[in-house]
Amino acid sequence: MALAPVGLQHFLVLAVILFCIGMYGALSRSNAVGILLSIELMLNAVNIMMVSFARYIDTPQELAGQVFAIFIMTVAAAEAAVGLAIVISVYRLRHTIQVEDIDLLKG
Amino acid sequence: MAATDVIVSIVFYAIAALMVVAGISMVVAQHMIRSALLLIVVLSGVAILYMMLSADFLAVAQLLVYVGAIAVLMLFAIMLTPAQVDLSGGSSEAQKISAALTALVVGVIAISVVTTHPWNLRASPLNVETTERIGMLLLNTYVLPFWIASILLTVGLIGAIVIAREE
Repeated sequence: MALAPVGLQHFLVLAVILFCIGMYGALSRSNAVGILLSIELMLNAVNIMMVSFARYIDTPQELAGQVFAIFIMTVAAAEAAVGLAIVISVYRLRHTIQVEDIDLLKG
Repeated sequence: MAATDVIVSIVFYAIAALMVVAGISMVVAQHMIRSALLLIVVLSGVAILYMMLSADFLAVAQLLVYVGAIAVLMLFAIMLTPAQVDLSGGSSEAQKISAALTALVVGVIAISVVTTHPWNLRASPLNVETTERIGMLLLNTYVLPFWIASILLTVGLIGAIVIAREE
């Protein structure tokens, strides 16, 4: 497989690796902005999968994967805007964005 | 193997290696600003992958939306939350180890699934002009999700302004 022509599985494996890197970041970071950055990486990994399915998989609906990727991108943009607004708001109130210190709802 | 296949393979492996290295450096970087800049590298790599996957519209949208807008948003958020370096003591060793184990287990399972699943492949990979077709799909088949997405963006941006503004 060392130099097999690049196909669907190459893109899928790369996307899985990126998704897991993002997952490690989202779980291990203690900075809220860092967690949001890692989530963006995970969303992008899923988008790579969607687009490679659109190119290689035989479906009756052509390009559905690319349209899905556009919708994921839209939701990611809204998520980033709201998430970062919450982070800035929390920073203004608590002067920290370390997730361990943001425990207002902890019993 | 044809010459173009060799070139495509070389480009793919180079981009993949760059993205994986930048991604790993991103999640372990101590400074958020470095993390955000490395994320921009990964997002640009994703745009190149979209070009290789004949998704021309998405490649441009990726550069505009992610590398242009979301990355700047992240940099602004880092700028507005100063002195929030991700200290190595911030998250415990146990948390890092369990996070790495979780990611590793998910990765092994997912890679074994995607490499062994019998995918129903096309005879020849899709290679068409996508912009016009995506526009037709968005305004015919997917017009309702398109409409909801526009409302979501409006609500999201208004919500972000309301949450982040000074009282």
